[in-house]
Amino acid sequence: MTGRLDRWADPPLLVLASLADEPKHGYAITQDVAQTMGVRLSAGTLYAVIARLEARGLIEPLESDDRRRPYRITAAGAQALAQESERMSKVASVARERLSTRPGWARA
Amino acid sequence: MTPPTPAGGTPTGGTSTGGTSTGRKLLARAALALYPPAWRARYSDEVSALLDDSGAGLAAVASVAWRALPAWICPPRHLHDRPARMRASLATALLAWSMLAGLGLVFAQLTQLQGLMAPGYAGIRWAYAVFDGSLALSALVAGLGGLPLWLLMLRRARREQRARDTLYLLLPVLAPVAYLAGLVATAGLVGGPNGVSPSWFLAVTLAGFAAAAIAAAGPGLALRRLQPRGPALHLAAVAAAAAGAIMALAAAAMAVAVVILCLWARRFSYYHNFTTPGIYLALVAVAASVTTVSAARGARVALAKP
Repeated sequence: MTGRLDRWADPPLLVLASLADEPKHGYAITQDVAQTMGVRLSAGTLYAVIARLEARGLIEPLESDDRRRPYRITAAGAQALAQESERMSKVASVARERLSTRPGWARA
Repeated sequence: MTPPTPAGGTPTGGTSTGGTSTGRKLLARAALALYPPAWRARYSDEVSALLDDSGAGLAAVASVAWRALPAWICPPRHLHDRPARMRASLATALLAWSMLAGLGLVFAQLTQLQGLMAPGYAGIRWAYAVFDGSLALSALVAGLGGLPLWLLMLRRARREQRARDTLYLLLPVLAPVAYLAGLVATAGLVGGPNGVSPSWFLAVTLAGFAAAAIAAAGPGLALRRLQPRGPALHLAAVAAAAAGAIMALAAAAMAVAVVILCLWARRFSYYHNFTTPGIYLALVAVAASVTTVSAARGARVALAKP
């Protein structure tokens, strides 16, 4: 199997990570995710994720007079993001360590 | 409280030509029209703004359209007026259930009542038994679970002298009675020693489906107009899910019997081609799917924590 493991780029996690520093509206989230994480979120995917995260209380909408409503991560969302980041960090650490023992592995 | 200023990228979508932009906006509006009303009311402006800002093409609009399907199947709970969701699911499930019951009665008429037992094919006997038991149990569960809600609405319609709603609520009784009276009269006028001709059978069958649709639509309309709430609505929603699941078992039994009769026991059934049974099974599958999905959605809301 070759190529990127796209299913690991979990869209809810990307959106939470994008909102971790400051509130953003939909377009700003897609731009941020594309520029900093290298993943393009389509409009359909983004708003399916926003609806799901909002339903679970992980993000919340802010007041806006504009059609572009910004979203903010909640305390529960920040906690969920921290837990998932920790888990991914462990997976990445184990992966790097084991890959380094493979003969001929020159990266990292 | 002043909300924090959101971070934002620079929109890029203002550069498209007028014709392209208008066409894309129309497509985007069509894609958003596919979503449930509550979802549209909450997010459609934002999605439109995102599509405008990003200058998105057909692929982005197609992704919006594609995501409408999960929004219907698994609607976000925070968006819904829960009683309205239960009422809508109940009305849809009732209509689909009545169509499925009609298809089941056609199945019984064309198989069991014709004596198509096919000795040596135990599967058919089992399928008939499962179908009979499931149909009866499903009707019982739906009737008992829906009765308190029906009585509640009927009492309110009569108390408030809402004649039209009273009529709607009585349609589940009036429509079958009228149909049976018509059936008896038709059989007396055009029936022979071997029953009625195929064309009359088709006419009677279609009239039966029309009567079933009218009988189911009545309470559905009353639900929409009277907007009941409370424990009776919750009970009806949960009972509908149970009745729908049991009815799906009846549908599976129908499918098993028809497939056995078509593939292995043709000399008993005289089914020499698969077109009619295939269309029949497709209709059964559609009706069973709509019944179970709608009823499950209503029950999911009824059982969810407030």
